[in-house]
Amino acid sequence: MRPTGDYGDSALKLNPMEMYNLLPKTNCRLCEPKTCMAFATKLALGDVKPEDCPPLLEEGFEKNLETLREMVAPMQSAEATGIKLDESRCTGCGNCVVVCPVDVAAEPDTAIGKAGKSGDTVFRVENGISKIINLEKCRRFPPDKLNCRVCEQYCCTDAIEIW
Amino acid sequence: MEDIVCNGCSLLCDDIVAEVGKGDVKSLGLCLLGFTHLDIALKHGIPSSFDDVLNDAAEVLSSADNILLYGFSSVSNEAIKEGLALSKTLGGNIDSAASLGLNQAMAHGIHSSKLDVDLEYVRNNGEFIIYWGSDPAESVHRHPSRFAVLPRGDKIPEGVESRTIGVVDVRVTETMKMANHRMIIPVGKDVEFIDSITGELEGKSSITSPVLGIPAAEVIGLVSGFKKSDCTVIFYGSGVLNSGKSKENLEAIARLIGAIKKTGKEAYALPMYPESNLMGVVNTFKDKSSSFQKIIAGEFDTVLVVGDDPLTSLPGPVARALAKSKIVYVGPPGGVTDKRADVSIHTTDLIIQGSESMTRLDQVEVGFKPWKGGSKSIATSDVLKRLHELVKK
Repeated sequence: MRPTGDYGDSALKLNPMEMYNLLPKTNCRLCEPKTCMAFATKLALGDVKPEDCPPLLEEGFEKNLETLREMVAPMQSAEATGIKLDESRCTGCGNCVVVCPVDVAAEPDTAIGKAGKSGDTVFRVENGISKIINLEKCRRFPPDKLNCRVCEQYCCTDAIEIW
Repeated sequence: MEDIVCNGCSLLCDDIVAEVGKGDVKSLGLCLLGFTHLDIALKHGIPSSFDDVLNDAAEVLSSADNILLYGFSSVSNEAIKEGLALSKTLGGNIDSAASLGLNQAMAHGIHSSKLDVDLEYVRNNGEFIIYWGSDPAESVHRHPSRFAVLPRGDKIPEGVESRTIGVVDVRVTETMKMANHRMIIPVGKDVEFIDSITGELEGKSSITSPVLGIPAAEVIGLVSGFKKSDCTVIFYGSGVLNSGKSKENLEAIARLIGAIKKTGKEAYALPMYPESNLMGVVNTFKDKSSSFQKIIAGEFDTVLVVGDDPLTSLPGPVARALAKSKIVYVGPPGGVTDKRADVSIHTTDLIIQGSESMTRLDQVEVGFKPWKGGSKSIATSDVLKRLHELVKK
């Protein structure tokens, strides 16, 4: 269950309302989310692409489509994104280690809250600070290319940023 | 890398490893607090001996008219027992930071000196976790990841996705970032808030308007959490115990726990605090009366401080009064009390010593593991034993 409310919602880097204002706003139901507001929210999360809105591809919406494409460009491909860990903010709490699905698969003890020690995980707390030791294993990258942001979501000190 | 146990806070993490190199230490798993604690303890080094100051200390203690033994919050269970025996021989009072709230909490009917569940039970069963007046993101860093929020358990197969998290505090806290329910209430209004949600839960009243500024829908959402979850655990901290109404707050929490249980669900309350072995003190000292008023009244001419830094941690008037006494300090070096002490006997921090035990905040005893970093050490319990022998003569 994802945290709700508007306190530090770093999961939503883009503003859904700004994106909604660039959509046709007809609720034509031709897209998977069915309404323009729902589409805008999923677009902000990177779960859909601008091209998934059929009316946007029609004449008259070229400028809107271009603007939306520019806005979501950083999220479209996992190769174009990275994970930044600000060590000055990190408290070594281990949230990122335990919440990362890749870590849990690579070192099952982390699933029950234990410290990662194997060297096979994405995150590992070394000398009091979390380090990204295997960025290429993150499921944002190929072959998975998922829009996973759980490490950022559960980092209480905002030390982790996904861009 | 060797297995070690950390005593940086009350969690006493025993799933971590460390190795000491030439002038530095490396670790895996230690949070920043624990790593800093280990690094400082190693930098302090091991004193060569304490024989030269032992006799001075014994003389000060023996010649005291009215003595207080204070501290013990960061020493082993064995040292706590030695301290208690020493206080009986000296005919002195004995006290600790547990008088700042934990004694009252553990003595209260909500616990009656024994916690109902431990942290492993919470990990395996806790569906609705509430941090009430506590902020683990700042004080007990690994509490959410190790036990309460993120890890999977027997009845929590998807970890945090299987749980609901609530935080109640008087300010925005970092822990709130993980929470589904974030309740900011005015200072001193815990009882009023708890009674509102208890009334709603029991069906005795209905929330139709904001409660202490919190929208009704949000409060009702919190109450729904109690109804939906099979097991609620409330971790209460100094916000509950040290805001001036600890007894009333604990009674209100007890009423809430009782109301949840009446719906057929499990509900528990557990204390949260940062000191590494305050629970060891609570379990050992039978006399729980506070000596703070006596300290302020200047009743003690001599204080033996063991493994604590009361001149920085006690309330101002108490610390100022205590500083006027003769002070003998026994414990790891560093701190204002050690500096101020008339006689200091430096011992090895337990994280280096790698032996004896402490008690975790859920009353589980944790034994320290021997490792190369602790090949040579001076145990606080040994020093207290030697002091005891000297004062008996």
